[in-house]
Order: sequence, then structure tokens, then C-alpha cells
Amino acid sequence: MDWSDFSQLLAGFWVTIGVSLAAVCIGVPCGLGLALIRWRKIPGLDGMVATLVSFLRAIPSVTLILLVYFAFPGIGLSLNRMEAAIFVLAVGTMAFDCEIWRGALIAFPRDQLDAAIACGMPRGLRFRRIVLPQITRACLPALMNEISLVIKVSPAVAVIGLVDTTRAATRIGADTYEPLKAFLASFVLYAVLIAAILAAQRLVARRIGAPA
Amino acid sequence: MNAWLILAQHSGLILRGLLVTAEITVISAVLALLLGLFLFQLRLRFPLISPLVRGFIDLMRCTPFLIFLYLVYYALPGWGIELDAFNAGILALTLYNAAYFTELFSAAWAQFPREPVEAGLAFGFHGFGLFRRIILRPLIGIALPSLGNQTIQIIKDSAFLVIVTVQELTYAANEIQATYYIPFASFVVAALLYWGLCLIVEAGVRRSLRRSAQML
Amino acid sequence: MTNCPDPRTPRRKAFLLAGLFACMSALAVSHAHAASLAEIQKKGVINVASEDDFQPFEFVKDGQPTGYDVELFNAMSKSFGFKVHHEMIPWTGILPGVTTGKYDIAVTAVLVTPERLQSLGFTSPVAESVDYYVKRKSDDRIKSVADLNGLTLGVEAGSAMLKLLPQLDEMLKKTGGKLGKVVEYQDYPSAYQDLATKRIDYVVNTYLNLHDLVTKRPGVFTLGQPVSKPIYIAWATAKDNTSLLTFMDEKIAAAKKDGTMAALQKKWFGKTFDDLPSKPSAD
Repeated sequence: MDWSDFSQLLAGFWVTIGVSLAAVCIGVPCGLGLALIRWRKIPGLDGMVATLVSFLRAIPSVTLILLVYFAFPGIGLSLNRMEAAIFVLAVGTMAFDCEIWRGALIAFPRDQLDAAIACGMPRGLRFRRIVLPQITRACLPALMNEISLVIKVSPAVAVIGLVDTTRAATRIGADTYEPLKAFLASFVLYAVLIAAILAAQRLVARRIGAPA
Repeated sequence: MNAWLILAQHSGLILRGLLVTAEITVISAVLALLLGLFLFQLRLRFPLISPLVRGFIDLMRCTPFLIFLYLVYYALPGWGIELDAFNAGILALTLYNAAYFTELFSAAWAQFPREPVEAGLAFGFHGFGLFRRIILRPLIGIALPSLGNQTIQIIKDSAFLVIVTVQELTYAANEIQATYYIPFASFVVAALLYWGLCLIVEAGVRRSLRRSAQML
Repeated sequence: MTNCPDPRTPRRKAFLLAGLFACMSALAVSHAHAASLAEIQKKGVINVASEDDFQPFEFVKDGQPTGYDVELFNAMSKSFGFKVHHEMIPWTGILPGVTTGKYDIAVTAVLVTPERLQSLGFTSPVAESVDYYVKRKSDDRIKSVADLNGLTLGVEAGSAMLKLLPQLDEMLKKTGGKLGKVVEYQDYPSAYQDLATKRIDYVVNTYLNLHDLVTKRPGVFTLGQPVSKPIYIAWATAKDNTSLLTFMDEKIAAAKKDGTMAALQKKWFGKTFDDLPSKPSAD
């Protein structure tokens, strides 16, 4: 494996980072939205969200991305590879993020909310100033763990031909007939990234004082 | 409606894929659980080996499963081990998830009440007997929800095996859609079947929890 | 508390599921149709798909699509009058993508089989080939087709090579043997890798692909003998897209006439196919 191969691998690594980052930026806020819908117990919507989350947490990313990329055009929604990859990773993490946020919302001390209501705080302000900062602190370690999971599942995008780290390694292995070297190199890249995130997570957990 | 008819005609293929997925999941989960228990015990009893186990767990935590699968798949022939794709996949799933199971058991052990252990020691139980008779069943009881979640993770990871030619559920769906041009019906049914499998695992965990709660 | 979602009453969940299923069934019926020539000209762009690793027909080199099909198509596209949006994707997504309208044409080596003629439209053939097998050079067990009896073979999933295996089975039966285990790969490079590492015993692919492989790796692989009857290779569109097919056939005929096709065949295959018909057939 020479330098041009390795630069291909790095190019794929950028794609991995980009796609994972985009997925997290979409999934985490959307997960919060879904969690709020369930927290507020909006009738009808509550059940749909529960079912959707249950479904999204159960489906493998490989199967979902094949469905979205190859099958959706048949029902009128045609996404290119990048869009399909980000979409699938985003909805996957969104489902798990929803449960993480929901855990924090359910555990949120009722007395603070009551005090805020007693002071006449409107709902939006109540959420923004009282609830959100505290649940964000509480959820941060779990969310960061979830980010590491997004990266660990991101190789699924290789199956539709998106050239991420894994697909680049596969191509290099196919060209050089030395797949092991290519995959070891890609393993190192992934491991460094994930270890960095997990180390950051431990740091954050210690700062917050919550268990990692 | 044509797509669903075609799919129904070839439902045997899909069912065969579903069976393979179930088979892979059960075998890997059981083996990983046993290996996880073993490593957990190893860590407790032999502090010298503990860093090695810790290293293994950290390594698996930092590795995407597909990359680990590729490494296992392509490394084995080089070491003279000839495993077909199915067995290589099970090996990869087992090793990978054993690391997580070890962590789960360690976490459950941290929550384990000390009294039964001390009582057992007072009665003369020790070593493996203590573990098997006093600790094991309640430990699994504490760990059960996490074990269930990890099993669901195994079901999802099993889909990666399609990439190394294992003919499981995603493979079956892909084969049908590529031959009869019915991608939507094919993958939707596969997705629903995966969901069904996960719901079965969750239901099983709930029932076991309820039954063990009844016994207390 | 586990991560299990709230157990809604089973009945409500079943109702939601049924509703979801009904919606999806309705959606699955309506599907995008492939764009006709007029629509493509109006849009100003044609959606093309090629397999991303099927040498020498189409593959990616240094990030750019290349290969016989790609270069032939690019030469023709100069006179199109609309742009080309070209995607290199895995094989199993190409033909379904054409039938569901995601791609207007598959500029990729599609073998013309009787079943495919039922569900796809084909341009004039751009090449002709026969399925061969390839084995490890070091493997002395295999000297002729009869020796393939019971051995494990690799082939691409969802491919015509897979569909043509009954012909090989017939050949083996004549010498008292039968087809061994068939392992299906998502792409041929993975199959070649497994052949090299002895996981499988031989790989079946078209002569043109295998000739290319053996030329590049003479120390590892050796070409065997034919295992099928000759077959045409053409580009595929949706079945009823006659306007686009006529348009492409004109371009292909022009490429034949001015020697572009022959030159590219020589470049990528080492030989030319001078007697390609203008209509695809599968006999």
C-alpha cells in the first residue's frame, strides 16, 4: 500500500467524518423533538413516535440504506448517495437520541417545573432556560457515546458505493490484492477517531460529575 | 400490487434468509455470552490478566464491526484457518460482542448485593461453586435488560454479513430485488422482519423480568 | 429502566402497523417512470448508472469513471445536446434502478437474457462474450470443465453469469458430474480475492472480464474454458422507453460506422467485434 492508496483512504476518512457529523447534527436535535412529543404526551403523535423509534432502533443500517437508496426512488423520493447516507445515519441516531433525551426529561425534577409555572414563566422560556440546559448536561455523556456509535455504524454506507473509509479500503484491497493491510490502516483511522471521542466523553463526564 | 405478489411467490427465499439471521444471532449471542462470562470471571479472579481483558474490550469498543469482520474474514486464510463465510461471521460476531458482554456483566456485578455472597461464603461455598449456585442466576437477572439490548445489537450487526457473502435476510432481500426489480417491497419486508425479531427479544426480556420479579 | 419503548397496547400497535402497511402498499404501486427522450431533452440531463468495479467494462480509476462502456458512452455523449449525470454504483442497484426510473439508462455490461428481455429495454449490443471460468494458477486439479465437478465457485449476485450456471451444470452432467457450491458475491473483485486465498475454487465471469484479469495477474490466475453459450452485451433502459432506445441505437450505429467502437474494443478487449447485430437478442 503506497502513498496514493493511503491518500485515497484519507479522502474516504473525510467522507466518514463528514457524513457522521452531518448525521449527528440532524439526529440529536430531531431526537430531542421526538422526545418532547412523547414527554408532552400529545395524543396520537405519542404512539406514532413510539412506534417509529422502536422501528428505527431495530432496523440494521445496511438494510435501511439499501431501502432508502434503491427502493425510495420507486415511490418518488430519489436521494443521491451522500443524501441517503446522511439520512440513514441521522434517523438511526435520532431514534437512540430520542430515548436518551426522554430518559433525562422523565427524570427531570418536577419541583423546578412547578416553581417556574408558579412564577408565570411561559412554556418556551421555561424549556429554554430551565429544562434544556440541565438535560443537556445530563445527556452529554450518553450523547457522546452515541456519536461514537454513529461512526462505528458508518461503514454501512459503503454498501451503496459511497466512498468512505471502508469502501476506499475495499477498493485498495481489490487493486493491490492485500486487503488486510488496507483494512488494518482503516482500522487505525477509525480507532483513533473513536478513542478520541470516548476520551472526550470521559472528560466531559468527569466535569459534569455524572457517571460515564 | 404486482411487487407484493412476486415477493409472496418467492417468500421461501426471504424466510430462508430470516432463518439464517436467526441462527447466526442465537449462536453468536450464546457463544458471546459464555465468552463474556468467562472473561468477566477471569478479570475478577486474576488481576494480572485484567489489563489484557481491558485492552481487548477497549479495542472492540473502538472498532466498527464491519472493519473487524473484514479483518477476521481476510486474516484467517493467512493464518491457515479455513473458515467459510458463515463461520467467519459467527466468529467475528462472537468475539466482538463478548467484549460488550464482559462490560455488561461487570456493570451488573457492581450492582450485585453483597449479602448473598457473604452468606454463601459463610456456608462454605467458594470459587466456581459459589459462582454457579449463588451468583450466576441473579447476576443474569440484573444484567438482563442490557443483555437483551446487546442481543438486538447482534441482530443488527448480522446484516453486515451480507457483505461477505453470507446468505442471511438482507442478502435474500437484495437477491430478490435485483432479480425481479422490486426493491421497495423486498427491503420493506426485510426491515419489518428485523423489527419483528427485535420485538421478540424485547418481549422475551420483559417476560423473564416479570417472572423473576414474581419469584422474589 | 431498560431502553425498551413504552409497551403500547398490542392492539394499538397492530393498528398503527396496519395503517403504515396500507400507506406503503399504496405508495409502492405508484412509481416514478423512466424519462423518455423528450423529457430528458427538456430536463437537460440524462441519469446514467454504471457498475463501479467491473473491469474492463466500467470501473473507477483515480476517482474517475473509465472503461469500455464509459469511454464509448462519453464519445457518443458529445453529440447528445444534454448533460450526463453519471453514477458508479454496486451492480445490485443498477437494473432495479432502471426499472424504477431512478436511472434513465444503465451504461454497463448487461448480458442479454430471455428473462431480461421481458422486463427491460436493450440498446444494440456493444460487445459479445462467453462465460468462462478462472482458477488459481497453482491449482492443478482443474484442467478441463469436467474437473469442475463438485468444486466451489464464486459468481456475482444477481448477475446473468449466475443465471447461466445451469448451462455449466448441463455440461458437467454430461461427464457424470454436477455443479458444486455457489457463493454469491456483491462484486467480482471480492470473488477474485477469495479465489486467491483458496476460499473458493473457481470464478465464473465473461471472457472479456477474465481475460482482463488474467492479463493483469498472470502469476495468480489462469483462464479456463467456456462454460456457456455466446451471449450479447448491451445497455439497458426501462422496457417501454422506445424513444430513448431509438436515440441510443442511432448513436451506437454512428460509433460503429466511424470506427470509434472498433477502436475502443481494440483498446479494452484486445479484439474487435465486427458482426454485432443492431437488435439485441438472446439465442
